[in-house]
Amino acid sequence: MTATLDEQELGKAYDTALVRRLWTFVRPYRRIFWTALLLSPVNQFCTLVQPVLVKIGLDRYVAMHDAAGLRLVALVFAAAIVGEFASYYWQQYFTMLVAQRSLADLRVATFAHLQRLPMRFYDRTPVGRVVSRVTSDVDVLNEMFAAGAMTILLDGLKLAGIVAFMVAIDWRLALVSLALLPAMVVAVDYFRRMARRTYRQIRERIAHINGYLQEAITGMAVVQLSAREARAYTEFRTLNGAYRDANHLSNKLEAALFSIVEAASTVSVALLLLRGAGLHARGAIELGTIVAFIQYIQQFFVPIRDFSAKYAVMQSAMTAAERIFGLLDLEPEPAPAEPREPAVVHGAIEFDHVWFAYRGEDWVLRDVSFMIAPGEHVALVGATGSGKTTIIKLLSRLYDVQRGAIRVDGVDVRDWDPQQLRRRIAVVLQDVFLFQGTVEQNLTLGDPAIDRARVERAVRQVNAGRFVAALGGYDAPLRERGSNLSTGQRQLLAFARALAHAPSVLVLDEATSSVDPETEALIQDALAKLLEGRTAVVIAHRLSTIEHADRIFVMHKGELRERGTHAELLARGGLYARLYALQYAPAQPVVEVGRGLAG
Amino acid sequence: MQRLVRYLGRYRARLAWGIGCLVAATSLTMAVPWLNKQVVDAIAHDAGMRRVAGLVAVIIGVAVVQAVVRTFSRFVIFNVGRDVEFDLRNDLFAHLERLPLAFYQERQTGDLMSRLVNDVNAVRMLLGPGILNFINTPVYYAYGLAIMLSIDWRLTLATLAVYPLTLGIVKRTSRLLMERTLRVQEGLAELSARAQENLAGIHVVKAYACEGREVEDFRERNRRFQVTNMRLAEVRSLIGPVMNVVGGVSTLVVLWMGGTRVMAGTLSVGDIVAFIGYLYLLAWPTMALGWMLSVLQRGRAAMRRLDELFAVEPAIADAPGATAPAEVRGEIAFRDVTFRHGSRGAGAPTLDGVSFTVPAGATVAVVGRTGAGKTTLVQLAVRLFDVDGGAVLLDGRDVRTLPLGWLRRQVGLVPQDPFLFSRTIRENVAFALDGAAAADEAAAERVAWAVEAAGLARDVADMPDGLDTLVGERGVTLSGGQKQRTTLARVIAAAPRVLILDDALSSVDTETERRILERLHGFLRERTTIVVAHRLTTVQDADLIVVLDEGRVVESGDHAALLARGGLYADLFQRQVLEGELEAV
Repeated sequence: MTATLDEQELGKAYDTALVRRLWTFVRPYRRIFWTALLLSPVNQFCTLVQPVLVKIGLDRYVAMHDAAGLRLVALVFAAAIVGEFASYYWQQYFTMLVAQRSLADLRVATFAHLQRLPMRFYDRTPVGRVVSRVTSDVDVLNEMFAAGAMTILLDGLKLAGIVAFMVAIDWRLALVSLALLPAMVVAVDYFRRMARRTYRQIRERIAHINGYLQEAITGMAVVQLSAREARAYTEFRTLNGAYRDANHLSNKLEAALFSIVEAASTVSVALLLLRGAGLHARGAIELGTIVAFIQYIQQFFVPIRDFSAKYAVMQSAMTAAERIFGLLDLEPEPAPAEPREPAVVHGAIEFDHVWFAYRGEDWVLRDVSFMIAPGEHVALVGATGSGKTTIIKLLSRLYDVQRGAIRVDGVDVRDWDPQQLRRRIAVVLQDVFLFQGTVEQNLTLGDPAIDRARVERAVRQVNAGRFVAALGGYDAPLRERGSNLSTGQRQLLAFARALAHAPSVLVLDEATSSVDPETEALIQDALAKLLEGRTAVVIAHRLSTIEHADRIFVMHKGELRERGTHAELLARGGLYARLYALQYAPAQPVVEVGRGLAG
Repeated sequence: MQRLVRYLGRYRARLAWGIGCLVAATSLTMAVPWLNKQVVDAIAHDAGMRRVAGLVAVIIGVAVVQAVVRTFSRFVIFNVGRDVEFDLRNDLFAHLERLPLAFYQERQTGDLMSRLVNDVNAVRMLLGPGILNFINTPVYYAYGLAIMLSIDWRLTLATLAVYPLTLGIVKRTSRLLMERTLRVQEGLAELSARAQENLAGIHVVKAYACEGREVEDFRERNRRFQVTNMRLAEVRSLIGPVMNVVGGVSTLVVLWMGGTRVMAGTLSVGDIVAFIGYLYLLAWPTMALGWMLSVLQRGRAAMRRLDELFAVEPAIADAPGATAPAEVRGEIAFRDVTFRHGSRGAGAPTLDGVSFTVPAGATVAVVGRTGAGKTTLVQLAVRLFDVDGGAVLLDGRDVRTLPLGWLRRQVGLVPQDPFLFSRTIRENVAFALDGAAAADEAAAERVAWAVEAAGLARDVADMPDGLDTLVGERGVTLSGGQKQRTTLARVIAAAPRVLILDDALSSVDTETERRILERLHGFLRERTTIVVAHRLTTVQDADLIVVLDEGRVVESGDHAALLARGGLYADLFQRQVLEGELEAV
């Protein structure tokens, strides 16, 4: 299956394959599941024995004027009520427990799977759609446990139980009581077929409304500038009307089902009374039997009456399950079956005739080749869109190249274990990623090999000691992903993180936003320490960075056009010289205007 | 709530019908236990099969009539709820269409969507199931109590003794249920936000190889969410059992106390059947009452949020008595225009005393650095915002005195960020054409011409369905340049008198841009054109170039004059020559 998300749905209320897959998530909690299910016969017995007790009370004791006997029956009845309450409550509770636990696992499994999907998937799938798989779709499944599947299953058992009790008391009356059952089955089946389409329409049409609103609200200025309000209103009204019509239809269906079931229940009781009168006249049954049967009939029709609501829940649940499993079926990021890893990682990087495109044949990199020796510092320069950022993304294998190869220490990045590769290569991006967690957690990223001493050393080295102390130390939480930190402080934390992980290769996208001169000095100093003794690839925005680089690579329209030291390239008077004049040269007014034009 | 009554008022005739039928249906339902009692008593006293058969026939008759009347009552009442939902959502949408850009910049799309979808639905619940249950419950109780009291008032009081207690439990449970449901919803929202954050930054997560840590963090939050969910489940699991116990206890009381009274000869077995029947029928409305209280609360809260939205005044609207002039020449004048973003008046003004005139038929360029106020300036001309001071004039008339729709048909703005709708190219290009005319042949020609003129024809020819190709969500299937050219085509298809290009071809390469402008030459010659551009080569031929900086006009004149002046324009130009050389390498 290719990595896309489909939105279509079929409207099934039960799908064996889907249910079987869901079961794999329920399986770990099957003991609780079976306990919940086993409570069902207990519960049913306690419920269904009550009409029998009414019958015994009326026929054996009331008719015989036996007050003590009636009291005894009443006591047993009270016990049945307690038993019914307890078994019902625990059954519900255990069902919810299984649901919550298995769905929590499903949610984590989905989330974990999302972490393994390739970047290309995220390039073309709106994040909102993916998020709803993990949250709202799983929530729909929760509803299935709470109000759908389990109760449909239990309702089935209950109906069987009622029939059993009725037949046991008097099969002739049972036959009469169930006379309307075939007609009910036909009616419910008809309803199911009608409802299947209608419920699906309702869901589709509310989705259309959502889609239209989303677009209309974000593009309202365009609607207004095009003086198209009236037509947009008509369009919205049409969608809204289609949704209303589908709901009107489902209201009719549900109202009819509800009323017909209620009438069927009343008519069944009437037929029972008629037959019961005949049998009673012949002395074949007692009055209490009739009373008990009335109660059974009433109980029998309740689950049938509630069928429509449960059916809708099941239908949505199957759709949700289909979507979630569709996501879980997407191919994860490719990883080698047998990862290779060099014995010692020095940090040698090689791009060997690399061609790369995000889409089709729109080459972002064209035949790029270079070697970077261990410990060498290379600055990447070039205009926006020249391919600099792509190079650093490819280095940590966020994407695979179409042609050529990228090797780190002589091993193709496609043969590395992606996690290992990314641990060797520390990436410091402009957009510093901080978690909701403590300072220490943000620096170690959960790596147990990094102890407190190492964290402290890293923080001191990048001159962040004072501000970490000001934050409240290493155990202080970073709230809202560090939104209270300045850009400079975030940079320093990112440096400390990279340093703590002691990578062999450092990839750095220098921040363009300006910081105050004091912080700038701290960053400069920290950067020098960070680069010391490592291979480094830096997208340079600072003049000092390019001046200190061992070599400068000039990217232009996806090609590596010039390489050499700052002095060599300036002297050559080619692309670099012009770029330098445009972006880095200290001539103030031009630089300022330049920033404006780039934006 | 007053608003709601007004909406309901439109359907009062149907609603009255529905309620009438509901009362009738419930009355019929409530007759059934009494009829059953008659049959059982007849059986007990061996009154003969004819009487039994007669009564049974009556019951069946009642059941059939009841089914018809109830079906009718239920869907009529529920449908009125859906109708009000429909009206309410339409009116909200129409209201949104009148609100200005500033409103949308302050509000989140998700919040507005939630109001139009979830809140409207909560109000609908209040109306459909709400009205039904609020009518039904008293009717059930009135009949049930009257009949039961007439049979045996002591037994009635005894069996109903549990009901106040039940109501108390239900009320408390509903409150807990609501509180905990709210917490679960919050938990779900938090979890969504967490997943959203992670997925939005997935490239960083991968680059740092910290997927494991992210999953652990998610697992921990998910565990807490599971606990919150179980807290809700504890309460939710109570509802069914409580309801059953209420029914069971009532039956127990009837059996014991009623049985004793049957032995005493003051009650018949038929009476017991009637009691069991009525208590069974009353159990559900009692439970529903508790549920209705939470529906009522939610519905009212939702309606308050909708009222709040309705209360936002459309700040930019037709002035009273605004009339459109018969003829348009197309002269645009900015007179001492001052504008500040945000209503608080803090910070420096975005535009500060800007004045210049664009004669009818002339081409004027507005240039300057990012943030100089160029976009805001042209947005004022189409009243996406209104000026704070001074005025924008079209043919000498303040744009605020002109009908809004008319103004926007005369002045076409091609915005900086292309926004396309997930429809076909054709529909996007014809977006601003008149509704009635959009389908006819002339419209098809206009679209074809606009596509050609905007330099989109070759792209369209390469697409699978030509003009009828769908562009995907916000035009994701198109490149930036294609989106911009489609937007341009949309505006020129409507042939406005005044055309404003707000850096509208920035994603198109220089050569293509030149060709497009050449092709548009004839079209532009008859019209007033304002061009905002970063690429200065585009504007060299303009009749007048206005240079904005920090919200003020710092220079103006033609290309040669401005170059000779050696100011900001000359600087910008020199830079671009350099960039152009680089691009050409």
